[in-house]
Amino acid sequence: MKRFTSFFMGKGPIGQSQILIILIFIIVIVATLVNRRFVHPQNIINIFQQIAILGIVASGVGMLLVSGHIDISVGSQVSLMGAAFAMMIQRMLALPGGEVESWRQFMTYPVAIGLTFGFGFCLGLANGITVVKSRASSFIITLGFMSAYHGLALLVTGGASYMLFGRFELLGRGRVFFYIPVSILFFFGIVIVAHIILKYFRYGRFLYAIGSNRKAAYVSGINTDRVIIKSYIMVGLLNALAAIILISRVGTALATTGDAYALDALAAVIVGGVALTGGKGGALNVFLGVVLIGLIGNALIIMNVNPYVRDLVIGLIIIIAVTLSQLSERQS
Amino acid sequence: MGRYENILTTTKLCKNYPGVRALDSVDFDLRYGEVHALVGQNGAGKSTLIEIIAGSIHPDSGSISFDKDSYVSFDPWQSIALGIQTVHQENQLVEELTVAENMYLYDLPTRKGGIVHYGDCIQRASQLMKDLGMDIKPEKRVANLSFVKKKLISIAKAFTRPLKLLILDEPTASLDGHGKDILFRVIKEHKVRGLSVIYISHNLYEIFEICDRVTVLKDGKKVATHKVKDVSMRDVVRNMIGSSQSTLYRRDKGVSPPPGTEVLEVEKYSRKDVVHNVSFQVRKGEIFGLAGLVGSGRTELARLIFGLDPKDSGRLLYNGQEITPKNSYDAIRKGIGYLTEDRKGDGLLLSRPVVENASLVALAKDKNVFLPLPRERRDVNTISKQLNIKTPTIEQLVINLSGGNQQKVVIAKWLLAASEILIIDEPTVGVDVGAKVEIYRMIDELARQRKSIIMISSDNPELEAVCDRVGVMRNGELVTVLEGDEVTEENILHHTIGVFDEMEVK
Repeated sequence: MKRFTSFFMGKGPIGQSQILIILIFIIVIVATLVNRRFVHPQNIINIFQQIAILGIVASGVGMLLVSGHIDISVGSQVSLMGAAFAMMIQRMLALPGGEVESWRQFMTYPVAIGLTFGFGFCLGLANGITVVKSRASSFIITLGFMSAYHGLALLVTGGASYMLFGRFELLGRGRVFFYIPVSILFFFGIVIVAHIILKYFRYGRFLYAIGSNRKAAYVSGINTDRVIIKSYIMVGLLNALAAIILISRVGTALATTGDAYALDALAAVIVGGVALTGGKGGALNVFLGVVLIGLIGNALIIMNVNPYVRDLVIGLIIIIAVTLSQLSERQS
Repeated sequence: MGRYENILTTTKLCKNYPGVRALDSVDFDLRYGEVHALVGQNGAGKSTLIEIIAGSIHPDSGSISFDKDSYVSFDPWQSIALGIQTVHQENQLVEELTVAENMYLYDLPTRKGGIVHYGDCIQRASQLMKDLGMDIKPEKRVANLSFVKKKLISIAKAFTRPLKLLILDEPTASLDGHGKDILFRVIKEHKVRGLSVIYISHNLYEIFEICDRVTVLKDGKKVATHKVKDVSMRDVVRNMIGSSQSTLYRRDKGVSPPPGTEVLEVEKYSRKDVVHNVSFQVRKGEIFGLAGLVGSGRTELARLIFGLDPKDSGRLLYNGQEITPKNSYDAIRKGIGYLTEDRKGDGLLLSRPVVENASLVALAKDKNVFLPLPRERRDVNTISKQLNIKTPTIEQLVINLSGGNQQKVVIAKWLLAASEILIIDEPTVGVDVGAKVEIYRMIDELARQRKSIIMISSDNPELEAVCDRVGVMRNGELVTVLEGDEVTEENILHHTIGVFDEMEVK
């Protein structure tokens, strides 16, 4: 285990990741003792399917946080893009029940997916440019964008829901080899890509440099503004992917479908051990944080605990995890 | 108590910091109603001494007596209660509050129930301003006032409490002629009533105008205390220089190949209020020193040359071609390097390993998508050995290294970037003696590799020991360039504090 973690996170004092792995073990053991079904492969797959979308959003947020910047508008970005995506498909396929030419059927999904990614690019660009040029705290700026995107989503949907009537279910509900949900593959794929970017790309190194000391990074010749804007664009693109998979899974879009991802993603990333001040953490930290949050939700259900306890427990775990790691850091 | 009894006496005060003896057995005495100047070069121990008196630092050994009572050390509140007030070089005012609120911030006058009585506060401030002859409206917001007025407010604030000893740290640095007149009048009026003043300044003219005695510190030791009327400025300057310790290292300027033709031309750099029309040339293989007081515009000039701050005018030419950088990444691509003064502020990624710090500029310079990991490790290991960086591995976080080794990491970073032009700002601040010599050798080695080097330093012996030529800056202007035999600690100091002309007359 030690070698496994040090491979991903480098050597260093025992940090949040180790605490996290222990926590995950405890939850698994307790939940299994209460209910054997918890470790059934099908349940494990369920857990991962439940957290796949969160994991994609959190990967973006995590990489951004490595550079010391935050984006709390991710939830309303997912909602807005999800709504836009569902509306496009409805319109293009003339749902429900409309007859359209076969070329149109054929073109609908690529066009809608492409446009949604384009939309994600634009949202990320808007966030990034504003954060960089205003020189204001990224928390405040994206708080503003969170509200603005939420309002925009309400405006375009008019508060109505947009259903797909059973179309486009592959990404969210489909399985490969009859067993593994497609969304899990995307989740794992994104985490691996994030890991490679952070460890092996020049760009990833620059994220750590900026997060550790932005002024020093600038004096060392890094175009810090450009790197930060790129990170926000990356977050926007991952949010677009999350929105598409989410709509595919739930089959219907509301103006608020993805709102909860903002806090859950931040919670996962912070519990995972990406430092809020930037410059520390990696893809495995994000992965562990997401898994922990997924486990808690699932374990509580399987143990027959009131599901409303989930948020309370997650809140307490964030506080405990961060406090413990702060204390151990101060000691070393 | 008679006129010649001491209000303050320090006996054998010592204070050590890792690698530095900031104060070494200092005996200092101050009489009632005396204005006593404290002078010395940077790092002489002036700040440490006044901070011990003000209570913000505790000495390692020695004792202080104040008004007949003896103390081992003060706490800030204790020193204030005794009637000691310090006016720091940097203003410590709350910009968003009014003048009156700032003056009485420690204990605002209140009505019953704890509500602040603004009327009372303003009235008291206004009376005090009148007594001190300062024309400042107490209801004004501090942020809207000039630097001069802010300094005067800081001085007035000291008079809001019972005051026996006033410590002034470079008070005239931000005062104009009129402000200085007010300050000197206040000092003269109050000293008759028994106020004692410790006056720190680089300006010897002021000291000879207002002070009774002057104590010279050097390298943490007291060199001498003179009555101002019995001493010449020349002697005070000699005391400040003392017997030089620069014998520790002396670059053999004759051995390295003679500097080539002038390749780097710094042409007419200006920025309003900071740098005025500075031009000089640096040859290939030359180390060009920049001397001056803190705030004389040296670092500001370096930032302009490197493209970090906007300038009003200025061009940079290399081999006759214009290479004026637009920003830091442009500067680095054009072969310029800048080792900043503030290692922790804008030099190092403290929370990252040595290897990532050392390779950062080189990475920023090339265009690869992927990190050249094996090459990076090889290069950093090589340079780390070459510079003798003391670290268990290059994976060690920089925050765990000593000051000298941190500085070497900064140097490694710019060496790996292979810059042709290097601006080195205060390379040995907070660095222990051993590492200092290694850093000088490194800079010498760079000169042998025919690079053009601009070295900023407040350590004049260091400039004398290392530089081929030294430009001296004062108030944003390059006042002179010393060459060959003129490059001496004494000459540099004279030009730095600007007493040269007066001494010729004497």
